Amino acid sequence: MTAITATSENGVRTSAFARLREALRGDDALTTAWGAVIVFVTPALLTYAAFTAYPVIRTFWNSVHIIRPGGRTEFVGLDHYVELFSNDDIFFRAVSNTLTWAGVAPLIDVGVGLLLALCLYAKVPFARVFRVAWFTPVLISYVVVAILWMWIYNYDWGVANMLLRSVGLQEWQQTWIGHPDTALWSLIFAHAWKWAGFNMVVCLAAIHALPREVLEAAELDNCGWFQKLIFIIVPMIRPTLVNLLILAFIGKMRVFDLVWIMTGGGPMWSTETVSTYVYKRAFEWNTFDLGYPSTVAAIWFIVVLCCVLGLTWLFRQRDRLEY
Amino acid sequence: MRDILSARFLARTGLLAILALYTFYSAGPFLWIASMSLRTTSEISANAYALPETLHWEKYIEAWTGSNYGAYFWNSTIVVVSAVLALTIIGAMAAHCLARYRFPGNRVVLFVIFSTLIFPPQITIISLFQSLVEYQLYDTLLGLTLVYIAIQLPLTVYILEGFFARIPQDLYDAAKVDGYSHWEIFWKITMPVGMPAIATTVILNFINLWNEFLYAVVLITDESNRTLPLGVQKFMGDQLEDIGMISTGLMIAIVPVIVVYAFFSEKLIQGMTAGAVK
Repeated sequence: MTAITATSENGVRTSAFARLREALRGDDALTTAWGAVIVFVTPALLTYAAFTAYPVIRTFWNSVHIIRPGGRTEFVGLDHYVELFSNDDIFFRAVSNTLTWAGVAPLIDVGVGLLLALCLYAKVPFARVFRVAWFTPVLISYVVVAILWMWIYNYDWGVANMLLRSVGLQEWQQTWIGHPDTALWSLIFAHAWKWAGFNMVVCLAAIHALPREVLEAAELDNCGWFQKLIFIIVPMIRPTLVNLLILAFIGKMRVFDLVWIMTGGGPMWSTETVSTYVYKRAFEWNTFDLGYPSTVAAIWFIVVLCCVLGLTWLFRQRDRLEY
Repeated sequence: MRDILSARFLARTGLLAILALYTFYSAGPFLWIASMSLRTTSEISANAYALPETLHWEKYIEAWTGSNYGAYFWNSTIVVVSAVLALTIIGAMAAHCLARYRFPGNRVVLFVIFSTLIFPPQITIISLFQSLVEYQLYDTLLGLTLVYIAIQLPLTVYILEGFFARIPQDLYDAAKVDGYSHWEIFWKITMPVGMPAIATTVILNFINLWNEFLYAVVLITDESNRTLPLGVQKFMGDQLEDIGMISTGLMIAIVPVIVVYAFFSEKLIQGMTAGAVK
């Protein structure tokens, strides 16, 4: 994702539980040689402890303190939490924007990705060219994507308004990212531009991994392509689709770069996300307190964990397809 | 019969038209930037969509020297290359250990490292800022490199562990009979045999870190330490109107990634699809 993060947000993330289940079976080979084990694992564990585990704990510690510049701290108990839930309208605005984004965008990303993958699978002409053209946006930094789409949405000479003018729809012209009603959706659209290609290659790999006989049998039964899609391909690649949806969801819950560069959360908080809000409170506003943004981050951390666990549970496969 | 054929033909043509439109939408912006990167801002304000009449290659030189893109590019290169090298070694060692040694807590370690993939970055970023300030690593390339190693480690270990676990046991048995030490087993068996997976993680980490923005914007302030994404963003903030020059900067940021993709597209896609396909 973020990166990817995705990487950061990008990159690959998969159902943690599927992985754990598979892992618990463990059939490892070399017998325990603690010396070797310690030498091999220590660098990774130290990195993990110093740059992941410790910061997470420290953020929770921060969240019950006021942290002033120069490291002066003051214990305030749950004050930040009370403040956050009782009178922080911007936070709730940010939550609602982020949840809208995380609710809608995964469906768009995965849906478009699946359709594109099917087209390539159906061997349309120029498939190689198409694949490269569709996939390339995935590789592009959010900074570049953001600047590019700011220009596309530019009122005077942007592509969006120019296209509208050229088909005679002048009255539909917008200051796309400058108006509270359209800004969030414009950003979601730009974000989808980047990610559809990723979902496409993953879906394509999953479809190619399906046993050929099943698809051939469907063709023999004179099954139309739409039925083939709904009754055969989608159920068979369901685990992949679920993983992609959860990945996309995690990515959208942390979305920062694109918003920060294109709108900075404006206009009128209409594109504020939790990530940009944390960043603003911590590093932009002169509130001189790292405690409160840590509280926001801590709450959001718990929300994301619960959502991911919930989604994994919701989409768990009760009857596994055998093929 | 003829009707069916023509209906099919129409459907096929319609589909191709839609795909061509989608391709225009997904690739068009690149061509647009590429063309603007070779035009001057005054040419662009006259007509934003014209093709370059004269190719202003000198803009790249100007961006590289005059606008500090050269410095940003080297900062990015130093940070990303050292982080990827360290990641490969640390990650491969851990993955080898988790995949090939049986010890209590093995699966717990893997799960703990792996589960951080779902953490939103905000949960660590404020405290990382504090820690780096305390250890004088704030606003240094070393500090950023260390953080980059940490954020890509889970994915690296995850991909490598999956691959290393599937290396045939016979190789290891033979190595033990030949009296290889633990380190030799890692260095002479796992690393060479696991090279396809290692290449995949190298490419994936390279692209993710090359594009990274959030940690850079929090942990770097000084102009001379900016990485490329940060430099491009700041440049746009300062020179909002200089569309031509910004485009050139964008191209400088895009090209390395495209080159890597051109050479290693299969490896990259394997890496990105690994794990997501079940």
